[in-house]
Amino acid sequence: MPTLSGVISTAAIHAQGLGKSYRSDVMALEDIDLEIAHGERIGFLGPNGAGKTTIIRLALGILSPTTGSVAINGHDLATDRMVALTDAGYVPGDLGLIRGVSGRRMLDALARLHPRPPVLRDHLLSALDLNEHTLGKRIRDYSTGMRQKLGLVAALQHDPAVIILDEPTSGLDPVMQARLLEVLEERARAGRTVFFSSHVLGEVDELCDRVAMVRDGRLLLVRDVAELRRARVRTVEVLFDGDVDPATYRVDGIADLRVDGHVHHFTLAGDPGLLLTRLGALSPRDVTINAARLEDVFRALYLGDAD
Amino acid sequence: MRVILGLTLRRSLRRTLLLGVALGTFLFLVGLSYASVDQNQIRSLVESLPPAIRAFVQGADLASPAGYLGSGFIHPITLALLATTAIAAGAASARDVEHGVAELLLSRPLRRTAWIGAELIAMEISLAIVTVLGSIGAFIAVGTIDDLGTVPFGSVALTALTMFLLFSGIGTITALAASFSRTGARAISMGAGTALIFYAIDYLAQIWSLAEPFGPISLMHWYRPSNVLGTGSIPTSSWLVLIGVAVVASGVALLVTSRREVAP
Repeated sequence: MPTLSGVISTAAIHAQGLGKSYRSDVMALEDIDLEIAHGERIGFLGPNGAGKTTIIRLALGILSPTTGSVAINGHDLATDRMVALTDAGYVPGDLGLIRGVSGRRMLDALARLHPRPPVLRDHLLSALDLNEHTLGKRIRDYSTGMRQKLGLVAALQHDPAVIILDEPTSGLDPVMQARLLEVLEERARAGRTVFFSSHVLGEVDELCDRVAMVRDGRLLLVRDVAELRRARVRTVEVLFDGDVDPATYRVDGIADLRVDGHVHHFTLAGDPGLLLTRLGALSPRDVTINAARLEDVFRALYLGDAD
Repeated sequence: MRVILGLTLRRSLRRTLLLGVALGTFLFLVGLSYASVDQNQIRSLVESLPPAIRAFVQGADLASPAGYLGSGFIHPITLALLATTAIAAGAASARDVEHGVAELLLSRPLRRTAWIGAELIAMEISLAIVTVLGSIGAFIAVGTIDDLGTVPFGSVALTALTMFLLFSGIGTITALAASFSRTGARAISMGAGTALIFYAIDYLAQIWSLAEPFGPISLMHWYRPSNVLGTGSIPTSSWLVLIGVAVVASGVALLVTSRREVAP
C-alpha cells in the first residue's frame, strides 16, 4: 500500500483504510491510506472514473465511507464534520452555483457560512479579474470560466488552511490558469495545504511537491515529484570536438547509444551526476539533457502497472 | 440557516410572485363572474348535472355566494398554481443535489438539517406568499361585489388557511420524495403523482360508494373550501390531518436528508 514516509500525527488530511462501495458488490474505492502534511502541495492524478473525486468527496463528508475514516487537521469527518470543514476550502469539479442570484450575493452567502471573515476576497477578485460589474450580474449570465473563477474566490476567500480543488483549471483560459497557479503557489508559501486533482500533468508538475496517482479506486503511488523525475529515463545528446570512445564516459543506466559523427545520442536512467562529471573531463562542446516530464512518468507508471 | 433561507427565497422570488399574482387575479375574476350569475338558473343547472360532474365542485351549492366563491378555491387553475409552488419548492433539495449546489453548500461548515430545514421553511414562505396574494384577489371580490357581500372576510381567510395547509402537506410530501431522489425531475414527478392520486381518490370517493371509505386517505378529503366559507370554521379533524401530515413528512425528510449522500 503506497503511503507517505514521515507520518505526521496531525496531518492536514489523513485517510486510513478508506473505502467506498455504492452497491455491496461494487467497490468504487478501496483501502486508501493517505497522509498529507501541513503546507504540502499535492496533485492527484488519474483518468476519469479512477476515484479522485470520490476521495475528495469523502474527505469533505459529502459522501460517507463504507470503510475507514478521514480527518482534516485531526478532526474526523464522521464525528467532527463542522470543525473539520472550518479549516477547508473546496471547489468541486461540477461547480453548483445558484444561477438565479448575483455573483456578489453568492460570494456573500458562502462567506457567511464560514466562521472566518473573507479576508482574501479583494485580493482574489483582483488576481482573477472579477470586477464589480461582473459580480453584479446573475450567475446564469456568467460564462463557464467566470463561474469557475467565482467558485475559486468562494473557496479561498476565508484563507482556508486546507485547500481542496477538483479540476480547478477546467474552463479557465491559459492566462487565468497561470494566475490560479500563482495564487495557489502564494497560498502554499503562506503555509496552506493545497490538494488538487487534475488531468493536466503540467500544472501538477509546476505546482506540486508530491503526486498521488489513483486508478480503479486504488492508490497506485504517492511520491515526490522530484524523485519521480529523477527515477525516469532522460534523453541525452553530447557534441564533442572530435572522435570520443563512449567507453570513456559510460556509466550505469546508459542505453540505446548511437554515435552520429561527433554527436552521441543515448538514454540515461537515474541520476545524471556521475555522467556529467565524466563528460566534464572530456570537454564536450555541448550537452543536451531532456528532463523527464511528469507526463512521461505518469504514462510509464500507468501503462506499466496496467500491464 | 438564514443564509440558505435567503438564497432559496431569492432564487424563487420571481416565480412565487408571478404565481401569487396569477392566483389573486383568478380568484378575483371568479368572484367578479358571480355578479353575472342568475342564482335560480345555476341551481337548476347544477341539479340537472350527473353526480360525476357535480363532484368536481365537491357537491357545493354553486348558487350561493359561499359555494360559488368556494368553487374558485377548488378550480383546477387554483390547484395547479398552488401545486406548482408547493411541488417546485418541495423538490428543491433533490434539484440542489442534482446540480451540485448541495455539494457546494455542504462542503462548508453547514449542518444538513439546517440546509434542508431552510428549504422547507422557504417552501412554506413561498406558499404563504402565493396564498396571501391569492386571498387578496378573493378579499377584493368580496369587498367590492355586492352579491358576495354575505361572505365574511374571516371565512375567506380561513379558507385560504386551509388551502395553505393542504398544499403545505403536498409540498412536504414532495420534500420527503426529494430526500430519496437524486434528481429534481424524479422528486417533481413523485410530488405531482401524489397530488393527482389524492385528487383522484377524493373524486372517486364522492361518486362511488365502494371508494367512499378510502376518501380520508386523500388530503383533498380534508379540504372543503365551500364548507369553510359557508360555516366560517375549519373542522378540527381537518386541522389535525393537514398539519399532522406536513409535520410528519417534514420530520422524516429532515431525518432522511441528514443521512443521505449529497453528491450529484
